[in-house]
Amino acid sequence: MIAIVDYGMGNLGSIANMLKKIGAQSIITSDLETICNANKIILPGVGSFDAAIKRIDELGLRELILEIALKSKKPLLGICLGMQLLMQGSDEGVLPGLGLIKGKVHHFRNYLQSELKIPHMGWNDVKIYNTITFTQGYNEEIRFYFLHSYFVNVEDPQDSLMKCNYGIDFDAAINKNNIYGAQFHPEKSHKYGMQFFRNFVAL
Amino acid sequence: MDLNSAFSKKICNRCIYDSDIPGISFDENGICNYCKQVEKLSIDYGTGDQKGQLMLKDIIDKIKKRGRNKKYDCVIGVSGGTDSSFLLLKAKEWGLRPLAVHYDNTWNSAIATENIRKVTNSLKIDLFTYVVNNKEADDIFRAFFLAAVPEFDASTDLGFTQVLRKTAAKYKIKYIFEGHSFIAEGITPQRNNYFDGKYIKDIHKKYGNLKMKTYPLMSFFQFMKWVLIYRQKFIRPLWYIEYSKPLAKEILKKETSWEDYGGHHLENRSAAFVHKIYHPQKFGLDNRNWSLAAEARSGVIDREEALKIYNTPLELDSELVEYVKKRLELTDKEYDKIMNGTKRFFRDFKTYKKRFERLRPLFNILAKANLVPMSFYLKYCFPLPNETK
Amino acid sequence: MLRTRIIPCLQLIDQSLVKTVQFKKQGYIGDPINTVRIFNELEVDELCFLDIRATVQKRTPNIKILSEIANECFMPLSYGGGVKNIETAKEILSIGFEKIVINTAAIEDPKLITNLAKHSGNQSIIISIDIKKTLLGNYVIYSHDGTKKTKLDPLSWAKQAEELGAGELLITSMDRDGTWKGFDINIIKQISESVNIPVIANGGAGSIEDIEKIVNKGKASAVALGSMVVYQQKGMGVLVNFPDKTKLEEVL
Repeated sequence: MIAIVDYGMGNLGSIANMLKKIGAQSIITSDLETICNANKIILPGVGSFDAAIKRIDELGLRELILEIALKSKKPLLGICLGMQLLMQGSDEGVLPGLGLIKGKVHHFRNYLQSELKIPHMGWNDVKIYNTITFTQGYNEEIRFYFLHSYFVNVEDPQDSLMKCNYGIDFDAAINKNNIYGAQFHPEKSHKYGMQFFRNFVAL
Repeated sequence: MDLNSAFSKKICNRCIYDSDIPGISFDENGICNYCKQVEKLSIDYGTGDQKGQLMLKDIIDKIKKRGRNKKYDCVIGVSGGTDSSFLLLKAKEWGLRPLAVHYDNTWNSAIATENIRKVTNSLKIDLFTYVVNNKEADDIFRAFFLAAVPEFDASTDLGFTQVLRKTAAKYKIKYIFEGHSFIAEGITPQRNNYFDGKYIKDIHKKYGNLKMKTYPLMSFFQFMKWVLIYRQKFIRPLWYIEYSKPLAKEILKKETSWEDYGGHHLENRSAAFVHKIYHPQKFGLDNRNWSLAAEARSGVIDREEALKIYNTPLELDSELVEYVKKRLELTDKEYDKIMNGTKRFFRDFKTYKKRFERLRPLFNILAKANLVPMSFYLKYCFPLPNETK
Repeated sequence: MLRTRIIPCLQLIDQSLVKTVQFKKQGYIGDPINTVRIFNELEVDELCFLDIRATVQKRTPNIKILSEIANECFMPLSYGGGVKNIETAKEILSIGFEKIVINTAAIEDPKLITNLAKHSGNQSIIISIDIKKTLLGNYVIYSHDGTKKTKLDPLSWAKQAEELGAGELLITSMDRDGTWKGFDINIIKQISESVNIPVIANGGAGSIEDIEKIVNKGKASAVALGSMVVYQQKGMGVLVNFPDKTKLEEVL
């Protein structure tokens, strides 16, 4: 059973929907016990960094997520803002991230030439940076739907899984041991997203 | 292995229709009357030989002559399926100027709409569509489901015909093409697919909720008006020429990028529901034998192969079931109750059937003059064999 | 490389899909859920649903239908029509829509934009602006589904919307809506060059050439298609479709 963490922010229904389409069972929940008992966790997120961290701390989810990620070592996937929360901190806010993967979150505005619009919004190509089982199964060029104004750069190149370019190169997907992150929205990326989730479900 | 004894019911030696088919009989060679009917039609229509060619050429010339100063000279009903798509191709080849007409019951699949687009655009044929209001369409489907009769998709079939005729009348076109092929599809058994305007009206009255405002209902009076006053002629070109469905598919794919949807009528979700789920699960009917029998009969596949396919169970399509429940606003409980409950038949409702039977001599003449399809005459004007189940 | 988004923009009136011409005449298109299913099967980039009469008819969004639509979609969805407050916006975002489109409500209460941005992020807000060209060649903004003339200047309002927190702008040419005559390249270019957020061009698409022009000359970040995706051709029958992907890739 996959638990989709509900802390009040994120497109939970769509994630559950796509999982259902590929034949995986999931439950949307904020209940600590249910999350604890799940065999995989998905941390979604849409909105602002600090607002998300605040909610997670309020619900007592920080300790639980760290425990699941570091002690029980169950597969954990952060999507969009959820991936940014895995980092140490963000330009967007002042509160500390979960710190599960070393790296920071920056706003595109300091790095792009003026004609590129912000947010980074739309379908963009992604290159596999580190080939592992998790990045297999795609037939042709890979692309996903992105919708964000902040991006992640991991400190250790080994933690980068897929890269994307929007004015600059940034990490589209990351991975450290059992912890995964996707900056794009797999739940809204048609067959590419389905393959991404299939690989996660197969872990 | 003697297939006949293995299944302990008699199976035709040429096609795969068996003794369960209503109205079936076998001659001294074990050939069924449906095969005989196809034989007779092939002779009458000169299918695939010079007689057929000449008959068709004659019709095409008449069409061209009559349509000379009009924008279109014929109307072709399209669904995105093989037969109607192929007809569009042939019509262009024969130098005709067709108007493609589609009745959208709002349950189309992407493949159907894509095929219609690809074929009409690559052949540069104009398309006219009539879209029924989605809520009305669902209300009628729901009524048929609650009535628990086999003809769930009757409203689509009759609606399509009404739209074809109405459009032909609007553009002052006399000739309507239909993509039926008795060689490729055979003659469907006469049961569980009866429909007429009174039947639809009665079921809707008893089980429907919304008033019919956009649904194109064909009343008997309307029907007779089309036949006697407008005198629209139904032409089935595939009855005259050599027609192989697999070959047609290849040609379509090559010329227009048409895509195969896997199965007769499965491009529309309401028909798919009937053939994949509703008929098999509620009525114990597996309609795959219609096309399989035709394929065996015409030699497209081996009779043994056809029987083998027919005897493999149908795959369950749970997504389609969810879709139907969603559109018809049925809970799981309500859906299961109907699927497992009473079965009713058209004779439990008011229809025009008796009237058609009484008027058989008249329709015989009209059919010979192509003013009503011959298949209409054969199906509606004779009493149907008794339903047993 | 970031691809230009081509977005079918579907008009809902209550529970049925329609298509307008110049914001007035309406043609019936069909069932929203089945249409979404078809676009999903065609793997289109993104979809936009606008309940165009909601504000004028004083209706709130039909959450039930929107949920059913969201369930069918594996691509990004935007919704607009009768969204006047944060609660409604939040509810729609939570059922599976990525973005909310706001038109009249933002003109009447610009703070709405900032409040929504604070909660759900700028990227979740599209400000929709309906523009008509006057006889003298000036551009005027209309609200309330094109029925009320405002005193707002398009460039100023566009910039203000960006400052208030909008993530994207949907610019619709009322004159070109449903006409297949091509986009209003002039106004799209002006607005696109004056803001840093993506601009979606809407109103007038008739061919792939129109799409190419509005992207290359008009500097549109994305293109909305209306009549082109619901009719076989201009003046012909209803047929849900999407332009040929290979042809699109060639021109963009």
